[in-house]
Amino acid sequence: MAVYPKIAEIIAAALPCEIERVKPDASLIDDLGAQSIDFLDIVFRIERAFKVKIPRGKIVEEARGDLSAAEFDQRGVVSEAGLQRLRAFLSEVPPERFASPLKVADIPRLFTTETFCKIVIRQQRAQSAPADPKPA
Amino acid sequence: MNCPGTVDAGLSDGVAIVTGGSRGIGRAIVEVLAAAGMDVILTYRQDSVAAAEVVAAGQGLRISTELLDVREGAACTALVEKVVDRTGRVDLLVNNAGVIRDNPLTIIEDEELRVVMETNVTGTLNMARAVAPHMIAARRGKIINISSVSGEKGGRGQTNYAASKGAINGFTRSVAVELAPRGITVNAVAPGVIDTEMSREVRERAGDAVLSRILLRRIGRPVDVAYAVWFLASRYADYITGEILHVDGGFKME
Repeated sequence: MAVYPKIAEIIAAALPCEIERVKPDASLIDDLGAQSIDFLDIVFRIERAFKVKIPRGKIVEEARGDLSAAEFDQRGVVSEAGLQRLRAFLSEVPPERFASPLKVADIPRLFTTETFCKIVIRQQRAQSAPADPKPA
Repeated sequence: MNCPGTVDAGLSDGVAIVTGGSRGIGRAIVEVLAAAGMDVILTYRQDSVAAAEVVAAGQGLRISTELLDVREGAACTALVEKVVDRTGRVDLLVNNAGVIRDNPLTIIEDEELRVVMETNVTGTLNMARAVAPHMIAARRGKIINISSVSGEKGGRGQTNYAASKGAINGFTRSVAVELAPRGITVNAVAPGVIDTEMSREVRERAGDAVLSRILLRRIGRPVDVAYAVWFLASRYADYITGEILHVDGGFKME
């Protein structure tokens, strides 16, 4: 199944909005008016459509990488090191959208249609990858 | 089974899951909803004979049974997936499964506390959590939790049970807030003293004294509760959410 057309269809159905508005770089919150309950719906529909599991907080967790929680943010505000990780991880997001200071709670404002496409592709790869061999 | 079937309650195409639907109040709810035309899936934990009896008694109605322990979150999710795979939808969840293990506070056993909280509270949450994504996606749905007058009024020897039902009331209001943006209503029905096997011990212990505390001077029937559920499930209650509807003959007023 082609990822982008299906993701666009899902987002358009969940919000709901015209599919023409669901461009790859559209911010779900700022451009399409998504609310928190819409994210639950979108993730649920994606999981069913693509047979993948997207754990809550997956994007931030992966963006953080080996940074500790304290290194990533202080009192709910993303650190400079954290911002660098986010910019690299969410490379599909136009740079000017990374406001500083950026609250952790505002990270979902960055998510675009393409962000969800990338999650699906990563999860599909992770699920199809052979499991690590067990030690003898 | 008499049912207000002369009016269009908007239930005839719907799919309902009723937990703990093989006996008592749950059985009455299953029968009323099925008589209203719903495709009803009742869950039971132990008594497969009683569950089969409900199906047999409802000949011609759409009633099916599923074995389920609501304390198991993964099992609840799997059940809902199975229902949606078969029917394509779930319009109504009635969280009825519940247990009573009454004892005075000072001698209450850990197990009596655990089983009541896990069944009544965790079970209710497990099922609501399982149906919510489907209802959110469908932009419709109703959740009705069976609470108890004990949740508000309390009761001697019912510390665990009253706490669990009070928790259900708070849970009901919170889920109502969360799901309202998608038009999903969440309410609770709080029965008083009802003539069921589960409440028999409580009624026997209270004796005739309990009648003097019920304004309408009679023990409630399971169907009294079922009709309240029918109302909240119907289109006539589309504008009601976050409510705790007491069906207690005025018990809580005394």
